[in-house]
Formats: sequence, C-alpha cells, structure tokens
Amino acid sequence: MPTQLRGADVVVVGLGAAGGVAVLPLAQAGLDVVGLEAGTWLDRRDFAPDEIRNNVRDWPMLVKKTEQERPTSRATAAQTANQIGSHPMMNAVGGTTLHYWAQSWRLNPWDFRVVSETARRYGRTRIPAGSTVEDWPFGYEELERYYDLVEHEVGVSGQAGNVRGRIDARGNRFEGPRQREYPMPALRWTGFHEKMADAARGLGWNPFPGPAAINTAEYGGRGGCGYHGYCNKGGCPLDAKNATHLTTIPKALATGNLRVVTRAHVTTIQVDGDGRATGVNYLVGNTEYFQPARVVLLAGYTYENSRLLLLSKSDAYPNGLSNNHGQVGRHYFSHHQGAGVTALFPFDLKAWYGLPAQGVAVDEWADDNFDHSGLGFIGGGNLWAMSDRRPIGAANSGTFGRVRAWGSEWKRYIHENADRSHSFYIQKTTLPYEDNFLDLDPRVTDALGFPVIRITGEYKENERLAAAFCQDKAEEWYRAAGAIEITRGGVGGAMGASTHAYGGTRMGDDPDTNVVDRWGFSHEAPNLGVLGASVMGTSGARNPTLTSQALAWRTAAHLAESWSTIAG
Amino acid sequence: MTKTGIRRVAALGLLALGAGATAVAAQATVEIVVESPAMTTGAAMPREYSPDGRNVSPPLTWRSLPPGTRQLAVICQDHGAGNPPPWVHWIIYNIPASAPGLPEGIPFDRADPMPAGLEGATQGNNNWGLAMYRGPAPPAGTVHDYDFTVLALDTELNLPPGLTRAELLAAIEGHVIGQGNMVPTYTRQPAEGGAAFE
Amino acid sequence: MSDTPPPNTISRRDLLKAAGAAGAAALAPAALGAAVPTGNPAVPRALPTLATRAPVGPLMNLTAAETEILSAMIDRLIPTDDMGPGALDAGALRFIDRALSEAEADSVDAYRAGIAALDRYARYSRGTPFAELSARDQDSVLIDVQTGSATGAGAGFVGNSAAFFNLVKDHTWQGTFGDPQYGGNVDFVGWDLIRYPGVRLRVTDEEQRMLEAEDLEPARRSAYDFGQFQAGQSGGGAR
Repeated sequence: MPTQLRGADVVVVGLGAAGGVAVLPLAQAGLDVVGLEAGTWLDRRDFAPDEIRNNVRDWPMLVKKTEQERPTSRATAAQTANQIGSHPMMNAVGGTTLHYWAQSWRLNPWDFRVVSETARRYGRTRIPAGSTVEDWPFGYEELERYYDLVEHEVGVSGQAGNVRGRIDARGNRFEGPRQREYPMPALRWTGFHEKMADAARGLGWNPFPGPAAINTAEYGGRGGCGYHGYCNKGGCPLDAKNATHLTTIPKALATGNLRVVTRAHVTTIQVDGDGRATGVNYLVGNTEYFQPARVVLLAGYTYENSRLLLLSKSDAYPNGLSNNHGQVGRHYFSHHQGAGVTALFPFDLKAWYGLPAQGVAVDEWADDNFDHSGLGFIGGGNLWAMSDRRPIGAANSGTFGRVRAWGSEWKRYIHENADRSHSFYIQKTTLPYEDNFLDLDPRVTDALGFPVIRITGEYKENERLAAAFCQDKAEEWYRAAGAIEITRGGVGGAMGASTHAYGGTRMGDDPDTNVVDRWGFSHEAPNLGVLGASVMGTSGARNPTLTSQALAWRTAAHLAESWSTIAG
Repeated sequence: MTKTGIRRVAALGLLALGAGATAVAAQATVEIVVESPAMTTGAAMPREYSPDGRNVSPPLTWRSLPPGTRQLAVICQDHGAGNPPPWVHWIIYNIPASAPGLPEGIPFDRADPMPAGLEGATQGNNNWGLAMYRGPAPPAGTVHDYDFTVLALDTELNLPPGLTRAELLAAIEGHVIGQGNMVPTYTRQPAEGGAAFE
Repeated sequence: MSDTPPPNTISRRDLLKAAGAAGAAALAPAALGAAVPTGNPAVPRALPTLATRAPVGPLMNLTAAETEILSAMIDRLIPTDDMGPGALDAGALRFIDRALSEAEADSVDAYRAGIAALDRYARYSRGTPFAELSARDQDSVLIDVQTGSATGAGAGFVGNSAAFFNLVKDHTWQGTFGDPQYGGNVDFVGWDLIRYPGVRLRVTDEEQRMLEAEDLEPARRSAYDFGQFQAGQSGGGAR
C-alpha cells in the first residue's frame, strides 16, 4: 500500500519548461500546490563547460528516468521499432530548460490557422492528403498576453518586429503584433553574423536576431550571457540561461504555497468511479506514495504525457486515462529540423564563443510568408544562422570530400578549417498525419517493467518538399555570403525521437479528435490538465518551448480563475 | 548476346546516365582497347587488387586511342552495386595522352607523387568519398563485375582533385571522342571463423 | 496513512537557506571570470615535440600486445608529423584506457575483439602484423577497416569493421580535443591544432573583437581549473 500523503489542491507532474512555469500563477493564486519532479536540484557546480560530459557522455545523471524510458522508434507501422540510443530530455528541477538552447520564439499567427488560411488563400485541396491538421481552437491574439507574461517573467531577450502593429525592420516583420518590446535586447552579433545579415539584405531578405530566454543584461537578479560556447546541452555557469529552476519555480516557492518533491517518479494517475482524477502514485526509490489532489496537471515531456495516460488504466478508462475517444498518442509529430545545409567558408568564422540562440534569422520562407501558388507544399522554414562550435565537434566537422577524415593531410585541413564550416538550423512546418502516432511498445519496458513509448512516424511529401525548398534558399544565402563548398542532408524519412515532439494529447474543441479542450483540460476527466507541446497541433517553423510555456501559464491561470468549477 | 556484349552496354550506360549523355550520343566515339597484364574481362581479378590483398590499383594499358586524343580519364565501377548504381571504386583523370597506361599502385596519398609520365594526373572521389583506388569488396560468395572504363578526351582539362563521377562526367561533356573497357570479376571467400567483432 | 512529506521535499525555508549559500561572493557571476587558472594563460607554451613525447605506461584494460596495435592505429589517425604533435602526444591512449575503466566500460570487449581482428586482417591481407607494417600500408589497412571492406574477408572482421574504426576514431578525437580533465589533450596540443582559443566563462565584447582581430591569446585551462565545477555524476548532492 502506498503511503497516503496530505492532500493538495493541485499536483503538477513534472517541473520542467511547462510545469515549472505553471506552478507560479497557481501558487500566486493561493492554491496549495505540490510539484513532483523525477530529477533533483542541479546548480552551476554541475554546469562545467565540458564537451565530453555534456555532449559526448550525455550528462552523467544520478536519476536515470529518461535514460530508462528511451522510446522506441520506427517509420511505419509495418516495421519493428528499435529503442533509441539516448533520450533527448533530462530529469531535474527545471527539466531540459537547464541545458536547452533557450530559443524563445512565439509562433506566427498563420500557425494557429493553417487549415482556414490555406483554404482561404489556395483552396481546401492544398491541405496534404492524410493530414489530421486542424486550426487551433483560438488564434495568436488569445495567446499574446501569455507570451508576454512568460517573456517578462522568465526573461527573454530579443528584437521586436511588430509592436502593436508598428513594424520595426530590425525585428521579424512577419511576427504577430506584440503589446511591448522584449524585456532585454537581443544577444550580440559577431562579425560573421554581420556578414550573413549583409548577404541576406543583398538578396532582398530581412535578417534579424532571434529571441532567447537568456539574459543580455542584469535581469531577475542575475547577470548577462558570457558567450562561453558550451550552451548547447550545457547548463549556464553564470546562471544567465533562464531555466525554470532559476525563475518561476523559486518565485513560486517563495509564496509558501508550493512544495517541491524531487526524485519522485510518477507511475500512475488515479481516478474515482466517476472518472475524475484523484491524485497520483509515485515512487521515491522503492517507497510508493499516493499524493491526493483535487486537480492533476500532467506536465511531463511529450512522450511521458501520452505514456502516463496510456499506463493509467482503470474501469472508467480501460484504454488509458482520457482515452475513451482513442485520441491519446494521435496527431504526433517530430519537428522537421533535419535536411541540413552545411557550408565551408574561406575564412575563420570566429564562432568559438557563442551559442545556438545567438544568430541571424530569415523568416521570408517560413509559414505562409510567401506565395505558395504553384508550389507542391504548404508552410516553410525559418533559416537560422547561429553560433555553435566546440572543439571535439569542430575537429569532427566534415571535410567536404577534400581530404580523408584522418591522417596528416587531415591535420593540415583541420588546422586551417576547424573554424570555417557552418550549418544552418532550419525548422520547418511539420504536420500531423493519420498514420503517425505514439503508443506503448509491445516489447520494450523500463526498469520498472512498464512499456516505453513507441514512436511511429515519417515525414511526408509536404515536409520533404518544404525541406528541399528551404535548402535551395539556404544555399542561395550561403553563396551570397561567400561559401566555397556546400553539402546538403537528405530531405527526411523516419521522424525518430526529437527535442521538438508534438501531439499525443492535442488541444481542440472536438473531443472526437482531441484529448484536451481549449483550456488544456481533458474532454473526459474534467480535473485533469495537460501541459507541454503535447497539446500543440501545429509546429510552426520555430522552437516550441515559449509556446508551451505560454499555454501552461494560460491553463494554470484558467484553473485559478475557474477553481470551483474544475476542482468540483 | 554474349557476356562481353552485356558488359559493353553497361559501359555505354556510364555515359548515358551522366550529364554528358546527349553530347556523347551525338558524337561518334572510337573504341579503345583496354587491357591489363594482371587481369582480363570475364575472369577473376587477383586478390592483390582487393582488400583481401594489398588493395593497390591494378596495372592498365590501352591502345587504339582516337586521333586528337589530348587527355584520358579512367573510372572503375560496379554496375551491380550502389543506390543508385553504379558503385564507383576509382576515378582518375587529367591523364596525359602520352601515357600508355597506368602502372600498378597509383598512390592513394596525395603526399606521394604520381609515377613518371603521369604528371598532372589526379584522382576523384569514389563512393566512399575517398580520392583513391579501393578494390572490390562484394558480399562474400557473390560474383560482381568491375568495369574499368577508359575515356579519351579531345581537350586538356585541368580538373581539380576530388571530383565525383557525376562531376567528372559533367566536366568532360562534349569532349569524349573514344572509350573502351575491361570488365574482370571478383568474389570473396566467406569468413573462416575467428573472434567476431560486432 | 501519514501526513509526513517524503524526505526530499523542499520547503521555502530550505530554499532560502540554499539561496543564501549560493549567494556567497565566491560564486557571484562577476567573480567567475576572475577565477585563477593553473598556469599563466598569457604565456603561450612551446609546442611539444617528438622528444617530449611521454612513453606509454602499462594500461589497465589492455595487454601490452593489444596496446602496441592500438597505439599504432591511433598514431596513424592523428600522426605526429611536421604539423606538430599527434594523438599519442595528446595522451589519447591514456584517455581511452581511463574511459574503458569508467564511462566506456561497456566497450572493453569491443576493443579487445577489434584489435585482434585488425591484426588478423593485416596478416591475412598484407602478410604482416599491423604494428610492423609501414605507415603507408597501415593507412591502407585502416582505410579498408574504415570503409567496411575488411568485413567478411577470409580473416579479420566478422562484424562490420567500420564500427570498430569509428569507435576508436571517436575516442581518439575525444582524447585529443576534449577537456584535459580526462587524461587527454595534454598540454592542449589538440586545441592548438584546431586553433581553439580555450575555455572562458565570460567572453566580453572586447574579447570577441580581439579574437576577430587575431589578437586573443589562447586560455590554456581545463574547465575544472576554475574550481567552481564538480566532475562526475550530477544530482547526487543534497540540495
């Protein structure tokens, strides 16, 4: 029998990017909140700028929950899925925001209205066959105030492009209107970034710096970015990266209304005979606890959210919690970030001291920012010329067929060229399809014997055509900036596991095609909410974290405002 | 159709698949005789020219070059491998027309000089991305054909090192005035036990 | 049934206590950049030469015969040559040996089998033990191992030879270009080869300009020279 704990108003499962934000409006509203986190507190002693530790050995962690729950993956249902080598997420208070890139984009307005906007401009037939994409239940305008709250609460640096309808050419002229500027100026540009920006302008494009949850000035009592170069999968030794363990979680704790339990490995969400959530079971080591709560907010990563629901079977939900409509795990997709383009320049880029959130963006070829008449796809990609260079990675960079990748000739090559290659990061519109989904793997289990999640997914023609189109644009940009060699990756096959994983608990008004309603609460279990990118039905062409945080805030604020209705 | 005839079609396919297809088709090409003191069409190559031996490039000779030949290029390829085929084992070009052939063991390291009489000759990238000869390594027990094609060019092209087959064919488009090939076979024996490295 | 919270519940009081400790001046962001590294970064060291190359002592995880073969392989991957020190000078062998005792312990068998297969393949195809071949012939053998062509031959690799090549290459690169904390990159020879200007916690606008003007001296230090960081597993400490 699990040890029964004192009840709480709200239990939040997972204190990462989304759960770590949601606890703040809940605690500030005076609700008694318990935050359960599988990982532990980490701090800047754990954040050595050490490529072997961070990037090669994949963060040696005491808590191995994600490691033991690595999903299996396959392209199509006809194949057998194999377990992936490493999980893209980590367990800690603050979750993967500790070592993420911290790019903090808002989605563009089109991303909320893919179906209706495509139908209006090009006709309904342009929605790719087999796609289950829907319009979001609300538009950008609805989420704007939450974007604004998170940007200012967490601390996001950037250059606005549209403040209340006034276009600022220094920022992204395609972004939706925002009520005010970013709280901090954007990360700096180096000489190489200036060169890329000049090349973009020469092509008639509008280059601008991207937004990041990274301080560029004193903010929240912490200083600015040190540009040390180990930000990619590295924690910040200066506490300049605004991970939730430094921002919203401590602020929520300071209210006195949040209790954080670490090393809490949640195994099931319990329900009563009416199908209402009653709390969660979790393990600390071998000891099992039951945490009763009037409302449960599920805030794991996309894979964990679907998995925990599917594992929580009961009389009321024989196929998994909130799955009586068979929608848990559906509308899954991994953001199309592959199909890379890599260039060699005839000069040093001086890119050693920088970070992936620092760079030059071009949005001309994203979303519906260009005319798709005559093109075979909808959507597009954001082209991002960033800084990301560390020694082992640089010494492993491709040689463009110029030399064998080892030996004396290679030594001469790498001495000259270690700082001369560059890869674009191109995030592309990715759609959900009826045959891409998550379910429980029939063969592979975690250390506790529970099935891991199985990813079945492949990129379809729309993604592959958009990828090839973006590669053409990227190559054009590189050539304009003086690149002397260019290689391209394949345009995409199997989706695989991703740091940008969407769906599985999609948000929408129709319970037949969505797990949660427009506020993020289950269509079936009314006191169960779901936070994270698992509720997002479209990806846009940019990182999901800020959007999932804005959605989390919105769900939490709605819960606080509608407490008696939801808590019952 | 004889076995050699099949191979001849395959050799012409080299150009039909490449960027030079149209121009070459419109141009009458002369048949070059390609031979080797070490191997012949239809017979097994010695293991010396494979990874079962030293994996050095085999000696080649040629005759009956068309008049006006200024430069030569050689491609070794397996039309029965690669996705899409062929799998390219070797590319060498900028070969002076005065060369009667290639001696065994063309250097695989650019630090080593080309043999006398082959000054300027340069190797392109094979399907392993290596600018060198790498011999046959077919799956054990299968017989594969290795097509050594010699191309005669009517001009001197000072092509850079490391070209792929497609890049080479594009670069010589309209300049191929003769070609010929030799197609030996190779097969590998199955492994004889020993500790496995998986 | 109990009302007692589990032992790892953090309260507001705990948090304030922790914040007080972390707020100490020693860990203040401004102080971090001033941490004293070992050695004087302003004085570039002379590149090590062949004469300074440290002899390889006995390894923990490989026999002397295995070490000789692996050493010969690593020496061809990043050779000591007129460009300067190679992987052996950087201590890549020691890095691998140490890794095989810790993070890469699962790879010990792969190393043993792969080294044996490499030598068997050299004898089968070139008629000579790998370590006794000329540098050119060693290169030729390694190319065949790299491409997978040494797989399925009458002797040598039964599994894909490329997997062994990549395993050793990855570890050799880590031991040459990784942080010296792990036993490799001795005297920063790897970072000098690729002209990496070194680990800094804070790079000011002025320092970035100096870097772009080729005017920034390399910071020759390990991340752990800063004294701020703990190596090993994360999350074990009481917070």
